[in-house]
Amino acid sequence: MNELLFLTWVRGTGLNIAVGIFLLGVLWRLFEIYSLGRKPDLSAPRHASGASGLHTVFRRSLPPPGMLKRSPVSYIGGYIFHVGLAIVVFLFAPHILLITNLIGLSWPGLPSQVVDLAAVVTMAAMVVVLVDRINKPVKRFLSTFEDWFTWAVTFLPVLTGWMAVQHLLLPYTMMLAVHILSVEILLVVLPFTKLFHAFTLVGSRWYNGRVNGHKGVPV
Amino acid sequence: MQGPLIETLVQQGVSRRTFLKYCATLASMMALPPAAGLAMAEAMAAAKRPSVIWLPFQECTGCTESITRSHSPTIEGMIFDMISLDYQETLMAAAGFQAEEARHNAMKENMGKYLLIIDGSIPLGVDGGYSCIGGRSNIDLLQEAAQGAAAIIAMGSCASYGGIPKANPNPTGAVSVSDLIKDKPIVNIPGCPPIPSVMTGVLAHYLTFGSLPELDDKGRPKAFYGETIHDRCYRRPFYDQGKFAKTFDDEGARQGWCLFELGCKGPVTYNACATVKWNGGTSWPVESGHGCLGCSEPDFWDAGSFYKPLSTPADPLKFVAAASVVGAVAGVAVSVANRAKKGAAKSAHETTTLADLEK
Amino acid sequence: MSPLETIPIHVINPLPASLADPVGLTGNAPPLLHELSESVRRLLDTGETTAIDLSALPLTPADLVWLLEKLGTGEIAVTLQANGESTLNETACPGIWWVTHHNEQGAVTSQFIEVALVPELVKAHPLDVKRGYEYLELMMSDL
Ligand code: SF4
Ligand code: SF4
Repeated sequence: MNELLFLTWVRGTGLNIAVGIFLLGVLWRLFEIYSLGRKPDLSAPRHASGASGLHTVFRRSLPPPGMLKRSPVSYIGGYIFHVGLAIVVFLFAPHILLITNLIGLSWPGLPSQVVDLAAVVTMAAMVVVLVDRINKPVKRFLSTFEDWFTWAVTFLPVLTGWMAVQHLLLPYTMMLAVHILSVEILLVVLPFTKLFHAFTLVGSRWYNGRVNGHKGVPV
Repeated sequence: MQGPLIETLVQQGVSRRTFLKYCATLASMMALPPAAGLAMAEAMAAAKRPSVIWLPFQECTGCTESITRSHSPTIEGMIFDMISLDYQETLMAAAGFQAEEARHNAMKENMGKYLLIIDGSIPLGVDGGYSCIGGRSNIDLLQEAAQGAAAIIAMGSCASYGGIPKANPNPTGAVSVSDLIKDKPIVNIPGCPPIPSVMTGVLAHYLTFGSLPELDDKGRPKAFYGETIHDRCYRRPFYDQGKFAKTFDDEGARQGWCLFELGCKGPVTYNACATVKWNGGTSWPVESGHGCLGCSEPDFWDAGSFYKPLSTPADPLKFVAAASVVGAVAGVAVSVANRAKKGAAKSAHETTTLADLEK
Repeated sequence: MSPLETIPIHVINPLPASLADPVGLTGNAPPLLHELSESVRRLLDTGETTAIDLSALPLTPADLVWLLEKLGTGEIAVTLQANGESTLNETACPGIWWVTHHNEQGAVTSQFIEVALVPELVKAHPLDVKRGYEYLELMMSDL
């Protein structure tokens, strides 16, 4: 199989399989999680729960007092790479084209030089976060295989995409194919690892906020 | 006709300066230093005309058309006066046994020295029976001719990679020259058809330096196939700015914006169209408003639709509906199982009474 | 105007250079001047000539215009009709020639800067001179 056919495979069959597994996994886990349910809480609410759920969704994204100083790398690095990822994934013209082709939505993109910069910044932030994880004994102790694995699976698409655009290492055709393949791996892995937080984050924060409100700790 | 080339040329009314100018341009096109242009001119002017045998196999004659009809009278045509084309079915006057004899003679006289040009793929199905000349299969002819060749030039995508005949499901079992011949230097000049000046550039290089130009990993001369269409495309700034034509006749198309969304394969296609251009430098496909098809890449015919952007799925996603259903069903099934477990645990639960504790 | 004429079939890159950065200059041209000055020095010292292939360098049209303006126009402009027009123009710096080859359709096929007393193409080749001489002799003998 030559490069062009490899590329055609990842654009065709490969994508087909990856998106299939992704949807399967996401639906499976969402159904499973939400159908678990909770026993009705019969206690009288200590406080009208109000908007505690909604607030918590946002509040948890802000560092609690003092924490920013204690682990600046986690917060700042985390912010940068999440925002960077969003820019690279959703505002690069060829990516938008893909989304349009899949679900029909479209929006204007950013010039490729800007996206290029965002990719570099994202990668730098991710590397810093990784180094921090390795250097801090506590973090290292708490890290499991899954943490290293999901980092790599997230990092590779950015790296290969950037290298393809910059014509580094491999011919563009091959690099593009490798890039798409790495994204497909990410898609396959996402529903079954901690990366699933992309889907569960809002729900679980909301739930916690509500429960806390109910118990009398409104936010 | 033997003897130094320049004399032949001068007899045909091609001045030395015309020739020098041609060599300078050729050197520039091949990314050789300007001094090479002069060296080329001198070497070529003095060169003896090498014998060339051109065998057409499973092909459409488009490659021959591209070369011979490029734009006349042409300097490209001059190059053909520089070689002694001893066998070319489409162009030669001889036919039948006479033609075969000419080929045999040329092969015998120039054993080990002639250039062999092939256009068309070689079908291997039914013992090569899909394409025969004078009752002999293409494989047979190729193997015989290759033996005495100094080098082989595979002209066009079919000879280089199998091309359209090899397209899925490849009914004739077509293969490329390099699939069959392993012990001779082979230059691939892919394209459907290839650019005439690329062809002549390679010949000129051979005439000048007596060797083949430097090749990439797909056997193509780096001088012409070193960069993608996209990297040399004049519409590239629009790509970078995200300005794309959405249809072939919208405002973007009129403004000359990038054709990526209309399926341009320029980013993955290595060829010289963007710089050398077609029809004597008049224009080239992207300049004429149509995306690149990727014709100089192996199996371009099977690489998805010509009109689908590279970044979008090559085929419609078939598994999506099924996968969603399976996922939902699995989720429901697991939750039912979970509930059953919960229920079972509940019903297995025995109430502990004070009496139990006192036991 | 016929509707056909409103479709720019021959788009000549109006935006690229200007949008990437306002003036379209890449900054690649000034170093070329240094190279030229060295070449001229070599020409003076040893008589060695140099040619620079402009299409082999990453120069935008704006760079070329800048370069052309800096080098200026000299006294001699040679036009050569050989399979399309070629111009070999002296710049304001004698010894530096701006050489442009066009094909028969008028498109630029290659562009060079040549550092020489006389550009290579202008010189007559001894063999051509010989042919001219023969012609001259023949012509006179017919008189
Ligand atoms: S028209 Fe094609 S080759 Fe040109 S910039 Fe757009 S995608 Fe690249
Ligand atoms: S633009 Fe692309 S498809 Fe067209 S001739 Fe060139 S390489 Fe082939």
